[in-house]
Amino acid sequence: MKKTTFIEAITEALDEEMARDEKVFLIGEDIGIYGGVFKATKGLLDKYGAERVIDSPISEVYIAGGSVGAAMVGLRPVPEIQFADFITPSMDQIIQQMAKLRYRSGGQWTCPMTMRVCCGADIGGGLYHSQTNEQWFFSQPGLIVVMPSTPYDAKGLLKSAIRGDDPVIYFEHKRLYRWIKEEIPEDDFTVPIGKAALRKEGSDVTLVSYGLMYHRSMEAALALEKDGISAEVIDMRTILPWDREMILESVKKTSKAVLVQESSKTGGVMAEISATIMEEVFDYLDAPVTRVCGLDVPAVPFAPPMEHYFLPNAEKISKAVKKIIEY
Amino acid sequence: MPASKKKTVKSKTDQIGLPDETMLGLFSNLLKTRLLDERFRKLYRQGRFAGTYFSAVGQDASTVGPTYGLRDEDLIAPSHREIGASVTKGVPLDKIAGQIYARESSPDKGKSHPCHYGWKAKGVIAPSSTLAGQTVVGTGCAMGFQIQKKDNVVLAFFGEGATARGGWHEALNYAGIYKLPIVYICQNNLWAESVPASLAAAITDFSDRAKAYGFPGVTIDGNDVFITHKTAVEAIDRARKGDGPTLIECKTYRWYGHSEIDPADYRTSQELEDWKSRDPIKFAEKTLMDIGLLTTTKKEALVEQFNQEIDEAIDAVDKDKYADPEEAYNDVYSEQFPVRRVDW
Ligand SMILES: Cc1ncc(C[n+]2csc(CCOP(=O)(O)OP(=O)(O)O)c2C)c(N)n1
Ligand SMILES: [Mg+2]
Repeated sequence: MKKTTFIEAITEALDEEMARDEKVFLIGEDIGIYGGVFKATKGLLDKYGAERVIDSPISEVYIAGGSVGAAMVGLRPVPEIQFADFITPSMDQIIQQMAKLRYRSGGQWTCPMTMRVCCGADIGGGLYHSQTNEQWFFSQPGLIVVMPSTPYDAKGLLKSAIRGDDPVIYFEHKRLYRWIKEEIPEDDFTVPIGKAALRKEGSDVTLVSYGLMYHRSMEAALALEKDGISAEVIDMRTILPWDREMILESVKKTSKAVLVQESSKTGGVMAEISATIMEEVFDYLDAPVTRVCGLDVPAVPFAPPMEHYFLPNAEKISKAVKKIIEY
Repeated sequence: MPASKKKTVKSKTDQIGLPDETMLGLFSNLLKTRLLDERFRKLYRQGRFAGTYFSAVGQDASTVGPTYGLRDEDLIAPSHREIGASVTKGVPLDKIAGQIYARESSPDKGKSHPCHYGWKAKGVIAPSSTLAGQTVVGTGCAMGFQIQKKDNVVLAFFGEGATARGGWHEALNYAGIYKLPIVYICQNNLWAESVPASLAAAITDFSDRAKAYGFPGVTIDGNDVFITHKTAVEAIDRARKGDGPTLIECKTYRWYGHSEIDPADYRTSQELEDWKSRDPIKFAEKTLMDIGLLTTTKKEALVEQFNQEIDEAIDAVDKDKYADPEEAYNDVYSEQFPVRRVDW
């Protein structure tokens, strides 16, 4: 089998879902003629035409809110937000419309749409092309939030998102686009939303992460192995609703948890995971739950040493693990 | 007037030429809306329902006229002052009352606060409170109709104040590019809560905004239900044929406060009296009587009939209970993702 990159997996998922269901359409900036700034929608305009691959004006409010409307009348929109940094104008529509439509209408209307959001640092993008911003959506019930880390999951989760009846924010980390490749099945497959993946079994500590940070956590786990520390590695895949069972069971087994997240520490996803571990399995803990996160500064700074300093990496994760192992 | 191509239509009902049945239908819906609206104000002041109430009395012709004659599949994208659109679209009165009373029988089962009516069977979108929110979403519905080659149209309502929002402009810009099947109706009641229209925009006629988006804008007398209907019908026909949107500005006025808790002391009593003398109901009534379509007896019979319908609807919701509080867990996601319950 040939190896498929992360971004190819996304293009394939879009292509296959558009072929399977004529209700699926794409809308976003530069996604048609140009095939997307990262080429995620390459070739789709030629194949499906301008009515299903819409080059939108620079209107993030409309891209989000217009998609909600189209979903209400029977379509399955897959809007793209070119950079997670520029999702801010869409917030009103995402929070007030996308997330609340089903609730406020007593279930009369639903919003089956999948908003693809290109996100993430470690590519030299600077303050305005590096943000992930998943934490803003994590605190909004009514939304599904996913962030895959492998081509298999990228494809399978995107398909599940498009086929499902709930509004999904699908974060795709741009650092992974051409870096991560793997063989994936040719046949149609999906990956269930709401289920984490146990990537590596271990007995001394549980590492929880998602997106790019899953790869950093795995690098740390492999390095720790050489030092005789056995880390269990969980890739959340879906951030909201998150897989409590897998994470809590793992912590019960290892009695230690290091939670890794690329975005700023304060108010992030891992704060919630940490609080839940405390609430639910406190008696099993042998050491303080520890977080390794991006800095509490407004965004990822540009100068390469500063960007590097901002981000968690295998070394920083290993250090945090060793500290609680010795606790 | 700025050098835009918009035309200004004056109230000259004798030149309208609408069928008798339509004229009577418009009057009936206007009357029913008015009676219901005044009833809700009274009930609110009696403390019969919680929250507040946003009356549309005085500006009711600008929602009833455009909505009259729409198909069930056509959508209303409302804001907060469109009781006339719900009534005219045929939403059952007990559904409207249930929504205001936040009872179990409400389409939203008590989740949204008063005046956020939505009833899918009659194509009224359950609104958010974010101003111009449904202008954006409604434009998306029109995009959805166009992509699916359905000949349904959307009527999006908003106040003049809401037209200052960014999303409103993004939506109209998009609708212009793609000639979407939508009609935008601005109820310019001269005030956005306490802020006069002159502080909301540097233009006097809000229909001027259409020029920037490449489709017609027209300013009309929003208190003349025949004009609002006729103007909207032309725009709806255009939209349905694929000729694109129209922005209709209805100059009108709300008689009461922004909501029932607002004394509206920011405006002069003279201004209010001037507008009250142009009561949409009285105008429509006089027009119909002048041309012999309505008599006092016939009008009184209608009042009695509508009051009885309203009594029945209010009785029904008075008897109805609030939903079990655990209803709060429902309709967050599809059944695939049940919400975790709290063990209080
Ligand atoms: C985005 C947003 N900002 C503020 C409010 C609070 N608010 C509700 S109605 C209103 C005034 C609206 O004026 P206009 O659009 O002219 O409509 P009208 O009330 O006059 O019918 C305001 C400020 C809101 N609901 N949404
Ligand atoms: Mg107003």
